[in-house]
Order: sequence, then C-alpha cells, then structure tokens
Amino acid sequence: MTESSPILSVDRPLVVGKAHAESVVEHDTAWTRLIYVYLACATLWLVVGTLIGLYLSIKFLAPDVDHVPWLSFGRLRPVHTNTVFWGWTSLAMIALVLYVVPKTNQRRLYSFPLAWASLALINLAVIIGGLCLMAGINNGGQEYREYIWPVMAIFAAGVILIAYNLIRTIADRGVEEIYISNWYIMGGFLWTSVLITISYLPFYQQNGISETIIQGYYMHNAVGMWFTPIMLGLTYYFLPKLLNKPIYSYSLGVLAFWTQMVFYTMIGAHHFVFAPTPWWLQTVAIIFSVGMVVTLAAGTGNFLLTMKGSGRTIARSYSLPFILAGVISYFLWSAQGTLEALRSLNLVWHFTNYTVAHSHLTMYGFVVFLLWGGIYGLIPRMTGREPSHLLAGVHFWFALLGYFIYTFALMVGGTLQGMSWILEAPFIQSVRLMEPFWLLRAVGGTMMFLAHLIFAYNLWRMRPLRAKREMPATQMEALA
Amino acid sequence: MSFHKNHWLLFSVIFFGYIALSWIVAIGPAIWVQDHAHALPGAKPLTPIERRGLQVYVAEGCIACHTQQVRPLKMDAVWGRPSAPGDYAYVKPLDIWHPYAPAVLGSERTGPDLTSIGARQPSEIWQYLHLYNPRSVSPDSIMPAFPWLFKVVAKPPADALVVPLPPTYAPPSGTVVATDKAKDLVAYLLSLKQVPLQVACGSGAK
Ligand code: HEM
Ligand code: HEM
Repeated sequence: MTESSPILSVDRPLVVGKAHAESVVEHDTAWTRLIYVYLACATLWLVVGTLIGLYLSIKFLAPDVDHVPWLSFGRLRPVHTNTVFWGWTSLAMIALVLYVVPKTNQRRLYSFPLAWASLALINLAVIIGGLCLMAGINNGGQEYREYIWPVMAIFAAGVILIAYNLIRTIADRGVEEIYISNWYIMGGFLWTSVLITISYLPFYQQNGISETIIQGYYMHNAVGMWFTPIMLGLTYYFLPKLLNKPIYSYSLGVLAFWTQMVFYTMIGAHHFVFAPTPWWLQTVAIIFSVGMVVTLAAGTGNFLLTMKGSGRTIARSYSLPFILAGVISYFLWSAQGTLEALRSLNLVWHFTNYTVAHSHLTMYGFVVFLLWGGIYGLIPRMTGREPSHLLAGVHFWFALLGYFIYTFALMVGGTLQGMSWILEAPFIQSVRLMEPFWLLRAVGGTMMFLAHLIFAYNLWRMRPLRAKREMPATQMEALA
Repeated sequence: MSFHKNHWLLFSVIFFGYIALSWIVAIGPAIWVQDHAHALPGAKPLTPIERRGLQVYVAEGCIACHTQQVRPLKMDAVWGRPSAPGDYAYVKPLDIWHPYAPAVLGSERTGPDLTSIGARQPSEIWQYLHLYNPRSVSPDSIMPAFPWLFKVVAKPPADALVVPLPPTYAPPSGTVVATDKAKDLVAYLLSLKQVPLQVACGSGAK
C-alpha cells in the first residue's frame, strides 16, 4: 500500500482511524470534577465486582480453591451482584444523569453538596453491604435484596437525595418543555424510591409465599424500573447528540415510556412461574411480558431509525459502536426474556444457567455497553482529554467477544441442563455436563475482566487536568 | 394534558401511578396470600434449634444454589409432590435484621432441590460428612465445603459429635467434631420433609 486511505491509516493499518472528539464544550470545572469522581468510584466497583465474578466462575471448576468463610461461594455471589448493581452500574448511570439533566434543562445542577453527599452514601452502602455479606450478615432475601435494611436505607437515602436534586433542577428549567430523557430518568428515580420502600417494609411479607410475591416484584423492577428506564433516557440524549441529528420520533419515545411504566411493573411474577404463588398473578405477568414487545419495538425502532444512514459516523467514532451494540442487545435480550416467561419454554430454562446468561446479556450487553458509549462520548468533551483510540477498540472487542463466549456457553449449557432434568437423568448429570460450559464462561469472563482494566486505564487517560482556573459563576451562566 | 410542560403533573402521575400498580401486582396479592395460606395439617413450626439452623442456611447463602419448591411438572416429581402455599406458612421472619420471611424458594438449581432433603438423606452422619466436604460423599459435586462449621480437636470429649471422615478428606492430625452451628444446620435440613396434602373433600375454604 503506497497511498494512504482516509480510513485505514498507514501507521495503524489494522484499525479504523477514529474521529477525535470535538473541542471541550463544558467549562464548569466543579461539574466536571463531580461527574469524573462519580465515574472513578463506579469504575473501581466495576473492577472489584467483576474480579469477584471471575473468582466465582473459577469456583464452579475448582470448588476447593479456598476454604475461607468470607470467600465462600454462597456469601460471595451476592457481593458480586450487589457491587456491580449498586456500585458500578448505578453510580456510572448517576454520573451521566448528573450531566444530562442539567444540560437538557439548561440549568446548573440544583445542589453540588447534595450530589457529593449522595455519592458518599452510595459508596458507604456498597462498602458496608459487601463486608456484611461476606461476614454472613444478609437479610435472607434473594437476588439484589441481600443487603440488610439499614444498609439499603443508606443506599435509598442516596437515591432519594439525587431525585430531589434533579426535581429541583428540572422545576427551575430554562426551557419550556421537559425533554423526553428527563421523563425516563425521573421515572427511574421515583419508581426506585418507591420500589425499595415497598420491598423493604415487612408487613406483608410474613410468610414464605407472600415474601416470594414481593421478591418477584422487586427482582424485576430493580432491573426494569431502575437500570432500564434511566439507560433509555440517557440514550435519548447521547444518541442524537453524538450523531448530531434529532431523534427519529419523539412520540414513539413517549409511547414506549408509558408502556414501560404500565407493562414492566406487572411482570415480576414471571420469576416464579410454576411456583405456588397465585396462578392468575403468573398469568398476568406472562401476558404483560409479551406486551413488553411493544415497548421494545418502539424504543429500539426509534434508536435504529435515528442511526439509519449514519453508518460512517458510527464506524469513525469510538463511543457510538458501544451504543449500537447496547441498543441491539436491549431488543434481542429483552425479547429473550419474553420467551423465558412463556410456560412452555420456562419449564426448560427456569432454574438453569440459561437465566444467568440472560442476566448478563441484558445487564452487560444492554446496560453496561450503553454506559460505556455514554462515558466515551461525554468525558472527552468535558475534560478535553481523549482515551487511547486503539485501546478503546480493544476494550470494545474484548468486552463483546468475552460476553458472547460467556453467555452463549451458558445458553447452550443451560438448555442441556433443562433437557437433562426433563429426561429425568440423575441430578448430578446436569452438574457434570456443565463443566465445559463453565470453563468457557471463565474464559469469556477473563476477557471481560481484561476489558474492564483497559477501560479503567482509558478513564484515567481522560482525567481532568488540575491546573485549570475555576470560572466565575456569572460567566458560567452566560455560557449556559 | 401537558405532561411536556407541567413537571408536577408528570411526576405525580409517574409516582402515584406506580404505587397504584404496585398495589395491584405486589402488595395486594401478598396481603391476600398472607391471610389465606394456612399451615397444612401435620406441619409443625420450626423448633428453636431448627430455626437457628435456618439462620445458618441463610447466612451461608445456601439459597444461591438450592431451591425449595417443587413445581407441578413431571420432571420435578423426583423432589416430591408439588409445593402448596401452606408448605411455607411456617417460614417466618427470623429477627430484627430479617423482618421478612427468608426467601427459601430460591431461583436457581445449581444443586438439587431441598424440599424433602430430610426424607431423601435422613442420615445425620451423611449430612455432616457432606457439609465438611461434599466431595467426600459425592465426588462430582461442586458445592463449597464448610469446614468452619467444624472443629479439629486432638482428643474429642465424650459428648462430641465426631465426623467419621475417610482418610483422603480427614485433616493430617486430630479428629473433626461438629460445632453447634453444624448441629443446628443439620437439624434444620433433617426437618425439611413434605407433609401429605390431604385433599379435604367438601371443605374448599380453610
Ligand atoms: C468479568 C465479568 C463477570 C463475570 C466473570 C461474572 C460471573 C458471574 C458468576 C460466576 C455469577 C454466578 C452465577 C451462578 O450462580 O450460577 C454471576 C451472577 C450474576 N452476575 Fe456476573 N459476572 C461478570 C460481570 C457482571 C456484570 C458487569 C454484571 C452487571 C452489571 C453482572 C451481573 C450479574 C447478575 C445479575 C448475576 C445473577 C444472575 C442470576 O441470578 O441469574 N455480572 N456472575
Ligand atoms: C421485555 C423485557 C424482559 C422480560 C419479559 C424478561 C423476562 C425475564 C424472565 C422471565 C426472567 C426469569 C427467568 C427464570 O428465572 O426462569 C428474567 C430474569 C432476569 N432478567 Fe429479564 N426480562 C426482560 C428484560 C430484562 C432487562 C432489560 C434486564 C436488565 C436490565 C433483565 C435482567 C434480568 C435479570 C438480572 C434476571 C435474573 C433474575 C434472577 O436472578 O433470577 N431482564 N427476565
């Protein structure tokens, strides 16, 4: 090759040259610092939480790798899930929210001290919660409700303070209309405040089955009314912004919003299909699980139609590929959830590793990929410092391939597990047959973990430089 | 209606609408079940030692891998008869840190269902061996070992519960005896047995 192509550069022939971020657009250093510190904490939890995940995946292959009570599988598993949920995903999401809400409302964030307080509270909850779980102090709950109530109260306080902070910001907005992102984001905060309260109040959970009903409601609403709406709201900002064009249809976004609220709230009972919970409740959950296809189609269609014709921009960006992967994942793997809710398929997949595959396909493929897209899209514009383009690409491919290996192995393995139970083979058969799939999970998990280390390095590369003077608030206002 | 312009309207509908939906689909049914699920005739509440055992079961996170629910499906028949709401009437809150019933139903079957483990493996000794190291009785098991529920002593006192480990799993010196926690847990596991579902003819309610 003698001529240099505009895309394949000579010095890096294997990778597509990526466009540089436009120059710095934000000059409020206090704001930059707040968001960056949120992300730094979040990323620390990502590395810690997935290191634990990786260690857990090794325990499936070598159960005697340690005999330390604090590291025992049953105690450590909830440390993994709660750390990535409340430490990594929640904090990273809030960081982006703290940008998008003031930006779309053309107001400075109502209170910076309150936002710092929320950060401290949430970090505190994750630290105390993790230590308690390892010490064997949990609330006897199931997935994502394992923190005892005083710890969850700390977390809830953090969330409620942010909700208040955002409401005040929106109430004082400098534009007349409330942009759709804010609907989803405020939905997420208000719903989650209610959700945690309802799920931690004891009055109606005094026996095994009533507790199970609340657990199903909680489990699904934690992912469906916290992570999902806020990530969608953020995408309604970042996608058009990064593509530099308006969202395809505003009303599709509104339709998806209301169906999200009504349908998603109803489907918790599908976690206990065939359990001795009321049969009608399970049927309602299954019907609304099918109804969710409307929400999915409206949301995904809107995003994909916005991206249509921008293939080149996406290929030349290091943030948009994450967003594209996240949007496709949202559709595919939520639709997979609809299938899992159907009784005929649930009987094959329920209780198997297939569910674990679904958890990671959605939480990782959808939520975490969109987060990375938003972070790579935003931070260079705030700090003026870019990540290594090459490493951002390596991050993308390691995370994508790693999670494909992880989840496809478990989908195949989980299906075989279900078949082996249906054929009424001895139980241990379903443990033996999983071994190669658990090995593949550990391989995929290692790639994912490496991707997280690269991401942490990239975040450090994007750090704000200290030697900047603060701009007087009055000048700030003029710029806003 | 101007959801786009009136944030109080928008946020109130979001907030109260969600509370209303939550009543329909969670709180309401939970209250109904709580008032209508009666213990089956023949079922007994947990004894104090079994309750402490349940506490160990919860603390060690056994729930992460074991279910306690038998579905009305042919493939689940190996675990017992289909579970009924009344089977869980005696699953009660443990203490101030656990003000709700522990979630014993579970959601993943990495290990076998334990609804009837007390009937399936009634031997205390089997249970102790299995908890000390599952591989000592089930070579392909991937369940964690719980050696911290046991003590290694040079000379077991007369009333100690000695765990007769095969040489491969025994510590190099000393004898393994069960601590109170192990005894509690085994008492709980052995209490897990289904009581027969009597089809009470003519009395649909109650
Ligand atoms: C290096 C990356 C990761 C590895 C190796 C990993 C590994 C694991 C393992 C071994 C389990 C236990 C599965 C079982 O009990 O059968 C698990 C559960 C789980 N992990 Fe991860 N994980 C990783 C990253 C993540 C991330 C980033 C998230 C979310 C943002 C996540 C969310 C979950 C959830 C929700 C569960 C519970 C699954 C269920 O109950 O169905 N994981 N993970
Ligand atoms: C249309 C949307 C969705 C439907 C109908 C759906 C359906 C389901 C069903 C039926 C299960 C239970 C599987 C079983 O136990 O057999 C499940 C589990 C799960 N789903 Fe979804 N899903 C949807 C979207 C999502 C999204 C967007 C996320 C994440 C943001 C998610 C995260 C999870 C997780 C973490 C679990 C595992 C819960 C556990 O620990 O048992 N799902 N889903």
